[in-house]
Parts: sequence; C-alpha cells; structure tokens
Amino acid sequence: MLRRLADTKWDFGTAAHLSNRAGFGGPPAEIEKLAGLGLERAVAHLVDYESIPDSTENPAWAKLDPERAEKLRAARQASEDERRQMFRAWQQGERQHCVELRHWWLERMATGPRPLQEKMTLFWHGHFATSMEKVRDAYLMWRQNDLFRRHATGNWPDLLIAAAKDPAMLVWLDQAQSRKEHPNENFAREVMELFALGEGHYTEKDITEGARALTGWSYARTRQEFIERPFWHDRGEKIIFGKTGNFDGEDFLRLIVAQPQAARFITAKLWKFFAGADAPPELAAALASEFRAAGDNFKPVLRAMFLSEAFYAPDIVHNQVKSPVQWLVSSVRVLERGLPPPMVCVGLTRNLGQDLFAPPNVKGWDGGLNWITTATLLARYNEAATLVQGDLSSMAGAFPNQPNGMQMERRLQNARIGGVDPEKLFTQEQWADKEALIAALEKRLLQGKLKPLQEKTLRDYLAEQGELRPGHVRDAIRLVMATPEYQLT
Amino acid sequence: MNEHITFRTRREFLRSTILGGALSWTVPSFLANTFAALHAEGADKATQITTGRNGTILVVLQMAGGNDGLNTVVPYANDHYHRARPKLGLSQDKILRLNDETGLHANLAGFKELYDAGQLAVVQGVGYPNPNRSHFRSTEIWQTASDADRFESYGWLGRYFDNACAGCDPTVGVSIGRQMPQAFGARSPKGVSLDNPQNYRFITAKRGPDGEMSSTEESFRKLNQADAAVEENSGGSIGSIHGSVMHAGSALDFLERTALDAQVSSDEIRALASRTDNKATYPASPLGNSLKLVAKLIGGGLPTRVFYVSQGGYDTHTNQTNAHERLLKDLGDSVKAFVEDMKGQGNMSRVLMMTFSEFGRRVAENASGGTDHGAAAPMFIIGDKVKAGLLGRYPSLAPADLFEGDLKYHVDFRSVYAAVLESWLKTRSEPILGKKFPQLEII
Repeated sequence: MLRRLADTKWDFGTAAHLSNRAGFGGPPAEIEKLAGLGLERAVAHLVDYESIPDSTENPAWAKLDPERAEKLRAARQASEDERRQMFRAWQQGERQHCVELRHWWLERMATGPRPLQEKMTLFWHGHFATSMEKVRDAYLMWRQNDLFRRHATGNWPDLLIAAAKDPAMLVWLDQAQSRKEHPNENFAREVMELFALGEGHYTEKDITEGARALTGWSYARTRQEFIERPFWHDRGEKIIFGKTGNFDGEDFLRLIVAQPQAARFITAKLWKFFAGADAPPELAAALASEFRAAGDNFKPVLRAMFLSEAFYAPDIVHNQVKSPVQWLVSSVRVLERGLPPPMVCVGLTRNLGQDLFAPPNVKGWDGGLNWITTATLLARYNEAATLVQGDLSSMAGAFPNQPNGMQMERRLQNARIGGVDPEKLFTQEQWADKEALIAALEKRLLQGKLKPLQEKTLRDYLAEQGELRPGHVRDAIRLVMATPEYQLT
Repeated sequence: MNEHITFRTRREFLRSTILGGALSWTVPSFLANTFAALHAEGADKATQITTGRNGTILVVLQMAGGNDGLNTVVPYANDHYHRARPKLGLSQDKILRLNDETGLHANLAGFKELYDAGQLAVVQGVGYPNPNRSHFRSTEIWQTASDADRFESYGWLGRYFDNACAGCDPTVGVSIGRQMPQAFGARSPKGVSLDNPQNYRFITAKRGPDGEMSSTEESFRKLNQADAAVEENSGGSIGSIHGSVMHAGSALDFLERTALDAQVSSDEIRALASRTDNKATYPASPLGNSLKLVAKLIGGGLPTRVFYVSQGGYDTHTNQTNAHERLLKDLGDSVKAFVEDMKGQGNMSRVLMMTFSEFGRRVAENASGGTDHGAAAPMFIIGDKVKAGLLGRYPSLAPADLFEGDLKYHVDFRSVYAAVLESWLKTRSEPILGKKFPQLEII
C-alpha cells in the first residue's frame, strides 16, 4: 500500500501539482476550487470522470467513407498517371485532416471536461507511438485516438488486444501483411520490447513464435477495419515463454500480460509519465502489486498514485519538463486565452519538437530533458510572445523542406491570433500595486515563486515602466514565461 | 578526448563570455556591445591557441528524400542501365565523364571540378544489410548508425560528442535548421541548432499592441542567469537563492545551463556572423544559405567540430528529370562555393564534407517518369586530404544481381563513419558505432 498524503498538506500548491500532472493545469480560480474539494474528492473528480458528460463532437470527416470502395475501384482502373494524381490529391486531403485532428485533440485537452482522460490518451499515444507518416490516413489516426480515449483508464489486456487489432497499428507495424508463409515479426517484437515487457524479458524464439500466433490478424482496406483472415493464420503448435499450445494472437497477448514483469513495466512507465522520475524499487513494487490486486485495471492505480505522499514529494513537484503539448495547452489555460488556429498550433508544437500523430519512431518521444535544446528553449521563449502578444515571429521558417511549406507559411502570416487580455487576468488592486502584481504573476504562471534575484528583475522592470498599461503587463507575463522555471511543472 | 586536440572547457567558456553578458545589464548598451565585440575577438584568439590550426571540422550534408544515385554517379556505358531507364537514362553527352564506365550528372560541374582538383571522392555502392525503404526509418538508421532491426537511442554524432567532447562548449555541434537532427541525440545533449542568426535570440516585440516600445531583453537576460554566473558577478549577497521554493533539482539545473548556452551561443553566433564576410558567391537556395552560414561561423572561429546541413526534395517519384537537375545543380554549385569560401579563408585544410541520403532509388524507372525507393547509392567525401577518385566499385546492374529491383551495397555506411571518426575526428570509432567496422580508406 502507498502511504496517503496527509490532509494537512493539501493546499493550493499540492492542488496545482495534481491539476498540472493529472491534467493540463488551470487558472488560479480553478486551482482554488480543486483545493477546496479536499484531497479525496479532488482526486475522485479527476479519476471518476465517467460521470462528467462530454458532448464534444467528432471531426466531421472522422467516419467511414461511404464511397471508399468506389474510389479504390476507380484507382485500380485508372492509368498510372491518373492514379498518381489521385494519390497526391488524396494525400493532401489527409494532411489537411491531420492538421484539423491535431487541433481537435488540443482543443479537447484545453477545454474538455475530462482532463485526466485526455492526459491518459496522450500517454497511450506516446506509448503505442503510431505515426501518420506511415499510416497516411487521418481517419485511422482518429480511430486510434478514440480507442485510447475509451480505454484510457481501463483494463490492460483489453487495451493491449484492442491496440493490436487497431487498423492504424496493423498498418504501422506491418501486422496487416503477416501470414503464415512468412510471418512479419515487427509487431511481435515491439509489443514485448516497447509496449508490455521491456528488453531482456523475452527471447528471440518468443518473438518468432509470437509472430506465428499473430498471423491472420489483418486489415481490410475497403472497410477500414480489422479483419481475421483464417487462411493466413498458422494453426500449428507454438512455444511461448516455455508454454506449449496452439496459441492465437489473443493467447499470445494474454501470456505477455501474465508475465510478472508486465505489471512492473507498465506501472513504472505510468509513474514516470505522471511523476516525471523513475520510481524507487519499493514504490515500483507497490505500484505493480496495486495493479495486480486491481485486476490489471489502471484506474485504481492512478487513484492510489494521486493520493500518495510520494507523488507530492519535494523532488517531484516543479521538477518535470513540460512536454511541448503540455506547454501549449497549460499556457493557454493559465493565460485564459483560446488556442491559436490549427496551423499555428501545429507550427508551435512542431518547433518545440512534438508533432502529435507523428512521433519520431515507434519508441515515441524521449521526453524529459530531451525536450530541451538551445533551439527549442529559445523557441519556447519566443513562442511565449506568440501566445501573449500575438507576435508570429517565432513561426518564421516553421515548415522547412515540406512540399507545401511556403504555402503553409503564407497561411501562417495571414493568421491573426491575438494576444492575452491582461485586464481579465488581474484585479484592480494588483494593477495598482506592483508587488501584488508580481505575486499574482507567480501564482498564476508558476504556482510557485521565482528566485529573489529574478523577482527583483521583474520589480525593476515594472518600476521602470511607471503607470502600467496592458502592453507592460503582457511583457511581464512573457518574461515570466521566458524563464527556466516556467518550462517546469 | 584525443590528445591532439584540446577544447575550451565549459568553465573557460563561461568565464570568458558571461562576463560580457553580465556587463550588459549595468552599462550602457553601446559600451556593452563594444565590450562584447572586443571580448569575442579575444575568445577567438584563445581558441586558436588551444585548438590550433589542426582542429578539424566535419560538415555533414543530408540529401533528404532518397537521392537517385544512378542518375548522380551515372553508369552511362552500362546496357542494363539504359534498358531499365529508357526515359530517364543519361547518355554519354549528358554526363561529365569520370572514366569509361562512369560519369557525373552534367549539373554536377562543381563536383567535377573538385574531382579533377583531387578534392572529391565518390564512395560507390554504400548501404547496409536488410535495407529499409521507409524514408524515416532508413533516415533513422543512418542517423543512429544502427542495424536495420535495432533501435538506438542516440545519434552517431551525439555518441561522438558523449565520447570525445565531454565538457566542450555547446557549439561543438551546430545544426543549420530548426530541428536538431537525430544524429545529434546524445546521453548528455550537446550542440545548438539555428537556421538564421537573426532569429536565434530572444525576440523582442518591436512595438506592443498599445504602441509602447518594449525593452524586455535586459530583463530577460537577468531572469536567465544561472546561479553560478550570478555568483561570479554579485559576490555573496544572494545566498538566499537556495532557500527558494523552486527546487534546484536536476531539471532546473539543466534548464538553467541550456538557457545560458542558448544566450551565450546566440550572442557569439550573431557576433561572429555579423563580422565575417563570405568570400564566394552562393546560389540563393536554402542549401546555399545554410553553407554560407556554416562558412561564416567557421571563418568567425566558432569552436565547432561538426556542422550539419540538409537539402530536401530528393523523393522523385514523378517527373524526375527537371527536379533532379535542379537539385544537383544547387548541390554542386553550393558546395563548390563553400569550398572556394573555405579556401579564401585559409580553412579548407581543416574541413571535410560528407554527403548522405537515406537510400538510393529503384534501378528501373517507373511509369510516371520517376523512380521509387531503392537501396545502395554513392556518398561524396570532399576535402583537401581525401583520397580523391572513385572508391569501391559500382554495384552490378544485371537483373540477376539486384535484390527486389534494387542495387546491393558493397560498402556499409558505418565503414565510412568509422573512417571519418578515426582518420578525421581522431577518435576511436568502436565505442561510438557499437562495434568495429572495417575503415574505408578515404583520407
């Protein structure tokens, strides 16, 4: 059992930490509200999200194309030139949909009623890292995203099996083409190495045998669905983890989850995602046994994590680098402004090194300190000006080496994204009293404090400006966002 | 670190440069700028003394998209070539002859001159076992120098930085562009990336929405001073920092260091770039601009070991002829200009350039006047000390010798990397590449 955080430790700071990690943070009023609920109810509010209605509409195009069969037939009958033209037009449409898809998801994170569900969806996207670059079908990417959302805090074997049968995944790791004559080992390897066990907890033989068990799981291109092809399936006997049987794909995945290592692997990854650090051995063991006791379900483990003293330890709080998505979404939330238009959002996150639906490879984003280079840090500092002052200079050259890069840049230049409204963010007293304003800036943007010397810098800056006008306060907000401290959560 | 080459350490770097940065908060800016400029000169001299003229530089040029090696280094006398490419095949009058069998694409006149001057080597038939035809996976294989069925966490140049450049200043690796190439990924991340020195800085809003001028840059600098640097300048008066609510854990330390690296390299790079003139005329293309910037930074004395530039557009599935002609013209002319620039600076003997592309293209042309993803292809190595000429041999084009329509490789690209690491960067290649690859004799 994990030791629970003492109720006396529950305050604005710990509530902000919970909101930042289990969700995407929020303005002071929202944090106060969460703090007011008390620890137990605050955690329940985030974890038991099923009772909160979510009426978000799906993207209009996110459905099976009724004319797909006809289009595929037309493509087959077309000349090679025509086919290439069709392909180009189709790809352009998919790319556009993917821009919309990214924005649709960011909007859910920024304004949706169930922050933890979106946070877990983001976790699963990074975990089962699947890229549009190969899948090339925005509908399939949306479907996978929807799958992660539905299973976000559910049962592990259920999710693993559903993810294995997910069309985008079938295409991404070549399972769609795997047949008994020549089984493709790509998925069988990655499911053990990256999704469920980690290196060193299976043999090469387990991979080849697992790949045989998975043969026949495929993708029906016309219906855009998973399909089981019985004639492709290897019905022979397999030996996996020393067990012999006539295993199929589902057997293989259940054998994986039953390995003792499986509980340790996935709970450790979950802890790292939310806490930002590796779990020490006793904690890792406690999380794994909590997970097993809960029947391989995630929700009870998440609840235990968010209630635990360890989650609020001094070396955990304010010690995780915000991912680019976290940076963008939590920024618009604390600034109480809307998300910029879709193309700008894509440019902003891409410049910072995280393009949703296009992770660099099947391992996902390395995250942590890897988010930060001199270039991405300066980009964060300059993108702060984009969000606060509506200054698009940070976007120049955002789309290099892309077939439609110039066109994208032109569209960006035409975008009017606006800045923040500082009158809305601070009270009249805070406008009148610069010390109060500094405290309010720190509370809103950092949920903590700057160092004394940094505070002094801010104080000097504000003093220099005389009577404050909105532009000065916007500058001050941007300055606080352009600190190492603001990059942490 | 190799005994021949000493880098300025981070500590020296900070000591020499931060002082300039720190002054600028307290003195009028023209004075600060003058100080910084004077100081940058001094820093250069120091670099020259410690690294000497033998501080070698590698420039990696990525030809992104999969360059058609067959129409770059052309087997013009080969019947199989012309049979497979009735439309795209280049005949003898369309090439620059290297020997009785092979020639360069006519638009690579720049490369031909370098070849004739003994400064260019063509490594033929480069690839790796079990070639992958996905752009991004194959790029990753080249960038991380991994086997086709393995995933490596770090890039090959990042592992070079980790192994040979611990404690170097951040500009030891410079990538021209927005993103850091995967090749720079490292256990302890190093290197800076920028596309334009003008943007590589804290951008101050020209004029706020309410008409006021913004003067935030000075405040920005103070906000981003790391503890160490602040202490150097302010003595013991700021002991209270450590009582701050923010925890000086590793993430904050790391961010503070990177913020400092960014500021310092930003100042340094912009200062260098603004006072170095190019001594050659470059094509007005993204690649030309990138190499122009590299030349400025080398000329200005940035203590960089590896520069990384990229040229995109090689994914020529349709109507290849015109696009490929344009790309190669840009490539040849840009590189030629860069070499002239280096000669003008007297730095050519310190520079080695290496090109690569994630794969070559299918031997047979497709029905749309283009070519599809293939496998083995040539690499170019350029420098004063290269073993100029055609290295290795051209892979056989006989249909029976192809693998699924693609050329088979003779030279593993990691043999080229091994040679560059050992003979040029003077470091052991085995810890970086994970195993011992036979070194190709390129230098």
